[in-house]
Amino acid sequence: MIAAATAATRPHYGGTLRVMLQSAPDALELPANATPVDYWDMARTLSLVGDTLVKLDARGDPRPALAVAWQSDNNARHWLFTLRPGVKFHDFSAASPAAIAQILGTLHSNWSVQASAGSVSIESETPMPSLLAELALPRNLLLKQDANHVPIGTGLFLVAQWQPAKLLKLAANEDSWAGRPFVDAIEIEFAKSFRDQAIALELDKTDVIEVSPQAAGGSSPHGTSSSSLSLPVELLALVFSANSKAQDPRLREALALTVDRKPIQSVLLKGAGETAASVLPNWMTGYSAVFSAPANPQRAHAVLAEARQPAPHLSYGLAYDPRDPQAQLVAERIALNAREVGITVQVSLSGAEDIRLVRVVLPSPDPATSLDEAARQLGLPQPVFSTPGGGTSLDDLYQAEHSLLAGHAVIPLFHLPVASAASARVRDWVPSRLGAWNEAGPSLADVWLADRPEVLRQDSRAYSFPPVGSR
Amino acid sequence: MSFRKKLLLLFAATVLLCVAVISASVYSTIRRSFEQANQDRANAIAAQFRSEFQRRGLGVTRKVESIAASETVQRVALDMNRGTTDPGEYVGEARTLASQQQLDFLELVDYRGTILSSAQWQAKFGYPEATIPRATIAQATTAADTLPAGAFLKREELPDGATLGLFAVRVARVGEQPLYVIGGERLDQGFLSTLDIPVGTRVLLYQNLDVKWDPKSLFDLNGSAAGADRIAPLVAKVRDTLQESQGVIHWTSDPGDTEVFHAIPLTGPIVNATNPGATDQGAANQNGANQQLMGVLLVGSSRRPLIELERQIVSTAMLVGSVGILVAVLASLWFAARVTRPVVSLAEAARRVAAGDLGAKVEVESSDELGELAAAFNRMTEDLVQQKDRTLQAERVAAWRELARRLAHELKNPLFPLQVTVENLIRAKQKSPEMFEEVFHEGTATLLAEINNLKTIIGRFSEFSRMPQPQRQPTQVNDVVRAVLRVFDAQLQQAQLQDKDKKQISVRTELDQALPEISADPDLLHRALQNLVLNAIDAMPQGGELAIRTESLGDRIEVSVSDTGSGLTQEECGRLFTPYYTTKKHGTGLGLAIVQSVVSDHGGKISVESTKEKGTTFRIELPCNPLTGWS
Repeated sequence: MIAAATAATRPHYGGTLRVMLQSAPDALELPANATPVDYWDMARTLSLVGDTLVKLDARGDPRPALAVAWQSDNNARHWLFTLRPGVKFHDFSAASPAAIAQILGTLHSNWSVQASAGSVSIESETPMPSLLAELALPRNLLLKQDANHVPIGTGLFLVAQWQPAKLLKLAANEDSWAGRPFVDAIEIEFAKSFRDQAIALELDKTDVIEVSPQAAGGSSPHGTSSSSLSLPVELLALVFSANSKAQDPRLREALALTVDRKPIQSVLLKGAGETAASVLPNWMTGYSAVFSAPANPQRAHAVLAEARQPAPHLSYGLAYDPRDPQAQLVAERIALNAREVGITVQVSLSGAEDIRLVRVVLPSPDPATSLDEAARQLGLPQPVFSTPGGGTSLDDLYQAEHSLLAGHAVIPLFHLPVASAASARVRDWVPSRLGAWNEAGPSLADVWLADRPEVLRQDSRAYSFPPVGSR
Repeated sequence: MSFRKKLLLLFAATVLLCVAVISASVYSTIRRSFEQANQDRANAIAAQFRSEFQRRGLGVTRKVESIAASETVQRVALDMNRGTTDPGEYVGEARTLASQQQLDFLELVDYRGTILSSAQWQAKFGYPEATIPRATIAQATTAADTLPAGAFLKREELPDGATLGLFAVRVARVGEQPLYVIGGERLDQGFLSTLDIPVGTRVLLYQNLDVKWDPKSLFDLNGSAAGADRIAPLVAKVRDTLQESQGVIHWTSDPGDTEVFHAIPLTGPIVNATNPGATDQGAANQNGANQQLMGVLLVGSSRRPLIELERQIVSTAMLVGSVGILVAVLASLWFAARVTRPVVSLAEAARRVAAGDLGAKVEVESSDELGELAAAFNRMTEDLVQQKDRTLQAERVAAWRELARRLAHELKNPLFPLQVTVENLIRAKQKSPEMFEEVFHEGTATLLAEINNLKTIIGRFSEFSRMPQPQRQPTQVNDVVRAVLRVFDAQLQQAQLQDKDKKQISVRTELDQALPEISADPDLLHRALQNLVLNAIDAMPQGGELAIRTESLGDRIEVSVSDTGSGLTQEECGRLFTPYYTTKKHGTGLGLAIVQSVVSDHGGKISVESTKEKGTTFRIELPCNPLTGWS
């Protein structure tokens, strides 16, 4: 438990949950090519307003949301979803099959979405074995927009006030199908750095913040807050640009062999995350150990000797996201490692970049969906599964991922969690192990605010999720 | 060129040479002095840099000592000795500590020489630090004794390339295992900006970071130094010799843009990771310790002040020289005038003497050679005057003798018939009275004839002595010539008729029709020309050609009378105009004297040219206006 509330304290309604986030969105919608920070912030925000047809739990198993039941044909090309009855949007319009079908049809033009009595059917020319995982993604939240492009959903909260890039006030949805949340409102302040958020939390000016994974883990020194880490849901990797000077796969392989991930993980990331040589984390697939990750300078030298010799004093530019506080150090360490074998890597914020240090979101516990999404974010070809509409078997998944990594166009480095922290007045706060705030299982609907903060036990720890293991 | 000018030039050249020699001497002395001052200034700056280097090194050492003694470092050292070191916890500590102490570089290095935390390259944790000698690591208990006590130069690798820094290392010892604290400051523009640089001087620093010359490693206060490649040879010399060196760089053709550079080698200890820029020669410095060249400090001193001073000196020298030359010229003028005045007087007196003024005297002002020369000149002129007087006296005597001879000759001829006639009358009276009457008549006739002859002779002399003054009037000389020719025309024709065998004298006239009228007495001119024509006719008894020409010569006219007679000798020509001198058997010698007198009275002059057996030409030049005639 995040906090051991005293027995005398009972959940009660009321209060405003104050939240701070890093991103500064201009619109309440999920950008197509969002950075991880923007993705998580907007996904978390919108998931308070809207619902998906289904949700996935931490194991990736589907759970009912707006749809209470579903079925498909054998080829997974035709799906039928039975909708929850009596659900209304925040504008009091009914979340009817027609309305739902219209939203889904707008989101996926390649689908054939049909409404029928109490249900919605989805049909595609290709098999869609991962449709449930897809529908559970934040981008498939069933939202309408008013004239001011403010989202109107069926979620726990409705938009009360929206100041782009600055403030969002959400009010409790009294008619929520999931029941009224304990808190009356949620006030989200945007564009707050980690440091500002941490200070605000320490000064009791906010209740829930984001924290860097390195800073997460356990309660604050004074026991006024606690933080939690998700499962590794992000991939930190090196990606070679299309016009990179490093086109030789052996050079790329040599660079991959020079990166000593352990010191970076233990020192710079302060133990957060896992070293990675695969796109998908081990908790998602169970086979990531097959992809070897240890640094091997000797082997790197040998591979480099086989590679086409780079021109003397040829330097490869390594760009990183300046908004990522650890990215620069990680990039510099990689450059330092590369220098050991004679590969000159120049770390820079801009300029001619040959390599990018990128962080991508693995948005779904479904490995095929996450692999597909990671390939899209990394600019790699979409994974090809040997089984049509595959991704359902481990072999298919492994082969697809192996093919994706074969040319060393991407060098996976770390799988990283996301983290958040809450003050002691926030009770029954159970952040999702997948990084979201309102997924299947405990949700913000269960959060309530204590009248006064209570000091947490010093030995309390954040949620630590056991390895999921192979699915 | 006159003697005075020569003397003047000699004096001026002498003064100019003296001024030039003095100016060159002063210029050379001042130039040496300034170059020495320049050298001293460069040495002072170098010394100042060394002092600044030591001061900054001391500052760095103190800061590093302060960090080593800080609570944070002590805690890290304690954790290290306990074996509970968490690098992730310390990775940012060095940067924080360096920021607090305003150091550019700071590394916390564990007892194995491994970087725990690096301010300048945070990602460098876990890597070995080459500054700590292996021997020191092996003898951890005495680590502090084997480390450099003071600051030292070191090449420092950074993510964006290497740089040069002034470092110090100290040991934080909590347990048995030492924790090394290595801190430093950049040796860059900021360091150069702390130097107090005199005006006209600049300081550049070359960071010897690579084996090859890299112009980007040379910078001054403003950043990368312009024209770095021009300085490369000087840096290369220092790299080769590890000794101070000096070079002159001419940035442009303007001498003022010349800089003198003093290159000072900056050395540092050789660390485990060798400096690529270090050279073999740099392996040991003059102190014998193992050192390598880390950088080169270049103190550039502009020569512009020196050049400007030189120019000022040259200008002053030229001004002084010009004034000196002017003064020298004036003095030379005065001196030359003083020296040459007697000579000029002598020359002037000589010219006067040459012009006939034998009375010219030179004032004797000194007793030197010029005074003696002037006295000798005066004696010479006095001798000349005496000689002239004697000559004149002799000429007068000769003239009187000639006159007496002429008179005797002229008078003797008539007197002899008179004597014979009188004797005949006496004889007839005594011996033949009957014939006396007849003889008397004949005798008296003869006497009268001879007496008339004597009167004529006396009249001529009287006439010569009574030459009238010219009665001037506008006269056309051509008309006078024609009138003269008309007088002789009948005579020439009659002579031809009387003697058929006598060869004819032809007359040729070439009269200038544009001949202007002159102011003259036509009768006197007529008489003069008549004499010349008569002489010409007399000179051609065998016939010939008489030519008369007139010609306008601007403000003068010329009349020439030529004959083709037997001509005259040079001596005859010289005495031709002497009165009573004649070459004729029956001439009085007054004809040409009269001609000369007439010409002289008209302000003209007469000359004669004669060639033996060819003929004689008399030329008369007359001024159109006699007032402008020849003196």
